Amino acid sequence: MNLDAKVPSGALKDKWDNHRFEMKLINPANKRKYKIIVVGTGLAGASAAASFAELGYNVEAFTYNDSPRRAHSIAAQGGINAAKNYQNDGDSIWRLFYDTVKGGDFRSREANVHRLAQVSANIIDQCVAQGVPFAREYGGLLDNRSFGGAQVSRTFYARGQTGQQLLLGAYSALMRQVGLNAVKMHVRKEMMDIVVIDGRCRGIVTRDLVTGKIESHVADAVCLATGGYANVFYLSTNAQACNVTSTYRAYKKGAAFANPCFTQIHPTCIPVSGDHQSKLTLMSESLRNDGRIWVPKNQGDKRKPADIPEEERDYYLERKYPSFGNLSPRDISSRSAKQVCDEGRGISATGYGVYLDFAESIGRLGKHVIEERYGNLFEMYERITDENPYETPMMIYPAAHYTMGGLWVDYNLMSTVPGLHVLGEANFSDHGANRLGASALMQGLADGYFVIPYTIGNYLAQNKTDKIGTDHEEFKKAEAESTDKITKLMNIKGKKTPNAFHRELGKVMWDNVGMGRNEAGLKKALVEIPKIREEFWNNLTVTGTNENLNTVLEKANRVADFLEFAEVLAHDALERDESCGAHFREEHQFPDGEAMRNDEKFAHVAAWEYTGVGNKPIRNTEPLVYENIHLAVRSYK
Amino acid sequence: MKIKLIVWRQNSPTDKGRFETYNCDEVSPDMSFLEMLDILNEKLILQGQEPIAFDHDCREGICGACSCTINGVPHGPEKATTTCQLHMRKFKDGDSIYVEPFRAKAFPVIRDLIVDRGAYDRIIAAGGFVSVNTGGAQDANALPISKHYADLAMDAAACIGCGACAAACPNGAAMLFTAAKISQLAFLPQGQPERKKRAIAMIKQMEEEGFGACTNYYECEAACPKEISVRFIAKMNREYMMARMFSE
Amino acid sequence: MVLFNYLKSTILSKVVMAVTGVLLVLFLFGHMLGNLQVFIGSEAYNSYSQFLQSLGEILWLIRIVLFIALVLHIITSIRLKLLNRCANPTRYEVKNYVKATLTARTMIWTGIMIFCFLAFHLAQFTLRITDDESKNMKDMNDKNYSMFLKDPRGSVEINKDKYFYAEGIKIMKERHDTYKMVVKGFRNPLISLLYVVAMVILVFHLNHAIQSAFQTLGLNHPNYWPCIQRSSFWVSLLIGIGFCLVPLSIMLGFVGAGV
Repeated sequence: MNLDAKVPSGALKDKWDNHRFEMKLINPANKRKYKIIVVGTGLAGASAAASFAELGYNVEAFTYNDSPRRAHSIAAQGGINAAKNYQNDGDSIWRLFYDTVKGGDFRSREANVHRLAQVSANIIDQCVAQGVPFAREYGGLLDNRSFGGAQVSRTFYARGQTGQQLLLGAYSALMRQVGLNAVKMHVRKEMMDIVVIDGRCRGIVTRDLVTGKIESHVADAVCLATGGYANVFYLSTNAQACNVTSTYRAYKKGAAFANPCFTQIHPTCIPVSGDHQSKLTLMSESLRNDGRIWVPKNQGDKRKPADIPEEERDYYLERKYPSFGNLSPRDISSRSAKQVCDEGRGISATGYGVYLDFAESIGRLGKHVIEERYGNLFEMYERITDENPYETPMMIYPAAHYTMGGLWVDYNLMSTVPGLHVLGEANFSDHGANRLGASALMQGLADGYFVIPYTIGNYLAQNKTDKIGTDHEEFKKAEAESTDKITKLMNIKGKKTPNAFHRELGKVMWDNVGMGRNEAGLKKALVEIPKIREEFWNNLTVTGTNENLNTVLEKANRVADFLEFAEVLAHDALERDESCGAHFREEHQFPDGEAMRNDEKFAHVAAWEYTGVGNKPIRNTEPLVYENIHLAVRSYK
Repeated sequence: MKIKLIVWRQNSPTDKGRFETYNCDEVSPDMSFLEMLDILNEKLILQGQEPIAFDHDCREGICGACSCTINGVPHGPEKATTTCQLHMRKFKDGDSIYVEPFRAKAFPVIRDLIVDRGAYDRIIAAGGFVSVNTGGAQDANALPISKHYADLAMDAAACIGCGACAAACPNGAAMLFTAAKISQLAFLPQGQPERKKRAIAMIKQMEEEGFGACTNYYECEAACPKEISVRFIAKMNREYMMARMFSE
Repeated sequence: MVLFNYLKSTILSKVVMAVTGVLLVLFLFGHMLGNLQVFIGSEAYNSYSQFLQSLGEILWLIRIVLFIALVLHIITSIRLKLLNRCANPTRYEVKNYVKATLTARTMIWTGIMIFCFLAFHLAQFTLRITDDESKNMKDMNDKNYSMFLKDPRGSVEINKDKYFYAEGIKIMKERHDTYKMVVKGFRNPLISLLYVVAMVILVFHLNHAIQSAFQTLGLNHPNYWPCIQRSSFWVSLLIGIGFCLVPLSIMLGFVGAGV
């Protein structure tokens, strides 16, 4: 497999400018002759679809939701980074670039990250022009805050709803084009497959979720902006419908899947309250600024937190990491929580939770200060748990949150299948092994607004396509495959629900391929996953019919792909025999618990190539060359 | 807890629909309303029956997908809370709960509790945007906006487009939704060039979709999970009158 | 008709409801103040009545404006009601109201009742067709009209008004005895009861209507909105009480004992 990243030549800071000049253009009058399909209408998809239409391309956009505004980008709370240096505190494009590469533990592609930092400033301009109501200071200028331990204040925000406001901005741009008939919007349609003709991606096959109809859509290029796969863990902070289906099916058609083992765990989520749990809710990380994390010293201590005397509490982060304490980085903090819970000292009904205690700061600062800082978060917590965090400590536990891995793309965001482009969380390129806070929104919009509109033109200008229709044999074949798959799912008529399989898979993944990974666990997972998959194909039950809106069938279709994909993830985690960023192999750690990278052997992207269900995929590598920054040990001491 | 659910079941848009009663015996007060439905659905599937179809996605109250009317109030009895964030501890053991889809002529039922809210998208497509193409924007700080108006715009922009306003309105009116977007952009300098055109176009689309008129019941404000104020409807009325009087 | 184009717009329809409503409320307020003159005495009351009559074209202008306002108010409300019914054809099996007040939800019904009452009221006191006697109740005013009269023993008719020579040298004009008509009218307990009930309904209607008009006309600001809502209640109550005082006082004998 050819993993040529096509990084332009020249000095790092000139690469994107040079490339933009060198790219081929399409005559404005000819653009309408090209059709582009965009799958997924979150930040990346909506911004790309709108930008394509503005340029004059003929666009069709697809979402499985009832509206583009429901995409899960909407749930991002914190903010969006941009190297504006409005606060005069020493930020710059270079610093954002450096922080992102370092935060990703030196597993991302230099040129891509630098471009991301370069266009970050344009994103803010664009969003403000759209009417996104960012927070402002009294003088009328934009406000910034420092986020996720960054040393500079470069995060723009709109209360706790930044993702929502940015998505609604992109959504309004998209709907404007829908109103102008420049974008044809397909809602409640889920992508089933991509269609590759003469080595190029020429369209997709979809299933209408209301009528069950399988349809083909022809295009000159396809963009997948279908988000991440954190739901492989069953419980995550992702929305219920988030899935791996479209990227995984592209993978099966020849797109390489890069670094699937890079999955981020967020340390401050509300713990599971029982078996009924369907999703985990994230609480802003900022809570750790004033909360102290502890568990009882003794195993199985079921007393109320107030009844546990100070000397019987273990403030384990403060104990183990005296300098950073409760503000230790996400991965360290998450792993330590898992560790104390595995020791049997976890709290909450399930034993998987730790206290985040504000009593000390309320005593020191007064209730009103805490209320001012975290009032809405406390309210949200109380709504979900029915406990008042002003009086009793909060309970938190880590949860899967974001996936840095995704389909492999080159500098032009094109996958290994020519014509198939991948944007946003669905690709792998910018965050390396760990994503910094407030960078996900930045990357989604950078890809959609400022990268793909250029690079897709270059692809289309260089790749003349013949006119084909949906009656082409490859489309017929893909349609038949999709129909077969649906029929197969409908006809198993077993005794277990898709959700039960998903839950089972999630448990295997969380226990063995979750926060702390080791060889034995990963090998165990590689034995367990195929077993669940086998049972799935023999004992699944799907009620109803295919000709009607069928939520069970939708779910089964997605779980089927998770069951195959999970194996790729586990393989990647096993083969990457080092710890880096969010990928923590217990075998490789410093005595203080920090991840120990192995740059000699693993300073590369692992891009997996499909070889059939159950077969071990081929691991291709793209070496990561750092010409501009020096690889250092990531230290938060 | 034991809960009796009386749920609207409708197989397809053309089906007449009916209520069906389900008894949920082991409901934990810590469950969300949708998690209770999840468990009921798992049970139904194992019995070979089709589960209750309902819209949902993020389950943290921001995507606006969830949409049932619970005991006659969209999103249920708790103030400022979406169905997905409503927990069973708000109900009593032995309660009977009516679960119905969002009702309005402009929200046709697709199946069970799922309705088509595409009308809201079309209202936005009619004018709920600022016509700027990607790339042409000036520096973000070149346009100072007073904090007061930025905050007001944000208050209006908090709308999640769930449809509870129209579902709560005895007139099936979408005033609060439309007003929130018109107000947001009217408060901001970016929205000024298209201000009148936007008000007229969005309201025209709203009327064509078959939404009703406002009779100032303020049920929309009460049902809104984001507590968007009806004063934005007053603002929209003002915007519309000015637009009709002074537009070219 | 071009004039009714506004009906196509829900918001303009509401604006028409609000503007016509405001006009009608202002009229009601004036009407109430006029009515209260019954407490000063028959002379003042009849003079007020005569003053209104003497306005001539202006009176007709006011009547026409009020009539148009009323007609538009009614037409628009019916049109909106039909539209709203159509926009929400399937009712909830269970419906719980959170903010919508009873007064808000019954506007169309209170409106219809007020309209029926209005028809009766006009028939009784303006057209005077409910009681033959009321038409012929005459009273003399005490202004000097000697400039019209040449023969001190007779009477003369100018512009359909009759002028009499009376009480020595004073010349008096014959006029309708509105005071007597009102007092006699309200002596009937059924009529009084009807009026009081109608006024209670009117208060219901106005309680929602007044603040609703402000909201519709876009006058809602957090600084003064609570004040508008409170005022809406008190103003409607004031109007209601003001109107009720007349029949109640007559029934209780405080007013018109001498008639």
